[in-house]
Amino acid sequence: MKTLLAITAFVALVASVRSADAYPQYQLSRDQTCTSCHLSPAGGGLLDENGLAVAEATSARTGSAAFLHGALEPPSWLVLGGDARLAAGAVGNGKLGGAAYPMQAELHASAGAAGFTVELTGGLRRPADGASALHVAWSREHYAMWRQHPESPYGAYVRIGRFMPVFGLRLAEHAIYTERYGGLPLYGEAYGAAVEYIAAGFELHATGFVHDSIGAAVEHGDGAALYAEVRPVAHAALGVEAKYSASAEQHTTYAGVTGKLYLPGGDVLLEAEAELIHQQIVAGGTTNQLAGYLLASRPLADGWLLDVGVGHYTQDTSVAGLYRDCLDANLHWFTTSHLELLATTRLELLDRGSGPTGGYALLQLHYRL
Amino acid sequence: MKYRALFLLACATTACGTTPDDRPATFEFVTLAVLAPACGTVACHSTTTNVSGYAFDTLPAARLALRRLVTTGNPDGSRLIDVIKRNKMPPDAPMFDDDVALLSTWIRNGAQGL
Repeated sequence: MKTLLAITAFVALVASVRSADAYPQYQLSRDQTCTSCHLSPAGGGLLDENGLAVAEATSARTGSAAFLHGALEPPSWLVLGGDARLAAGAVGNGKLGGAAYPMQAELHASAGAAGFTVELTGGLRRPADGASALHVAWSREHYAMWRQHPESPYGAYVRIGRFMPVFGLRLAEHAIYTERYGGLPLYGEAYGAAVEYIAAGFELHATGFVHDSIGAAVEHGDGAALYAEVRPVAHAALGVEAKYSASAEQHTTYAGVTGKLYLPGGDVLLEAEAELIHQQIVAGGTTNQLAGYLLASRPLADGWLLDVGVGHYTQDTSVAGLYRDCLDANLHWFTTSHLELLATTRLELLDRGSGPTGGYALLQLHYRL
Repeated sequence: MKYRALFLLACATTACGTTPDDRPATFEFVTLAVLAPACGTVACHSTTTNVSGYAFDTLPAARLALRRLVTTGNPDGSRLIDVIKRNKMPPDAPMFDDDVALLSTWIRNGAQGL
């Protein structure tokens, strides 16, 4: 029973996503930037009017994409939303196990006017074993934001509060190596301040952060993150990323590059990220790690979207064979603008298949409020 | 320095480490470089969720966990090594043999740091 619970928890980690509405697959093809569809300059979370329109246009069946299907219209100073996810499937590392579990139950709110807003994402999560049941409720993100041009996706943004520093591609599936090992883990939010600027041809994000010493935190260090991206032509983007995090136990530096290329002929978006990670353990010892990912995405007819990805992670470059590779395939079906079915699979190989293999095959159900 | 960076880049494409495993078999290293990324992710054995009462993402938490999982001087008699070798953990991503060997060496050498 304990093993089943542990597997269930692990699969929840593997399967859950950072933010349910983050679909970077639509960049460069349908829209240029995250802020074309989302209120947050990081992407994810609440959709703006264009995001709702895109959600409706990319779904198999039409219907109102608005909050609660338009049954309740909040006042103009308030935007509401929410996400719920369930998953079931199989996971294995030589032995197969199965699980079904809730992944996400969160509400989002944005309140304010004239460019000044307060943003809140809160909901339920698994509390720590042995902790009070009250810990089931928490807020992953809460921050104040100033936006230079509230009616435009472009312009300056300033954020102060608890949020995920913008860094790298920020793909939704956090089991991707450049997320999981590359400085952007699930629940990696921290308290910080960010200054961001987004234009049609480039964007720049700079964040200083301190770890959350009040609530449970995944980020244990204090530091800074930078991400800059240029789009020299309409269908291509190049980016650089860096993050430094220091705690009493270790100092970790991440540096990398990103690239995006949209191929209009095949309606395919290629996204790539490569990172070098240097870990300095205060008590002694260092590691140099490498993480890379390449994702190809293609929208299909009737609300279907196919992703195929390959990943590489070298845990320590000083030791031969200490690396893993993966092949991912995800098939999304946006049945309506509120309902998504997702089949996500991974085959993971150690030492190019000469070592053990692992992976998972999961079916997710996602409902956007 | 420039050549070291080039070498690391070359490793990215060939995934080749060339030296023998001379990583330090210390409590701090095996916790932060081996157990934290493999076992201490947020929904598993992290201080956030503390599944089954074990967490490996910080040194104090790992110390508490490993005191219950390690038989000093006896890796084969340690539950930590047993659950890894029997593929009970980690459930979806196998651990490297070199990492299991490093953990075993640390335990065999007296599990310093616990």
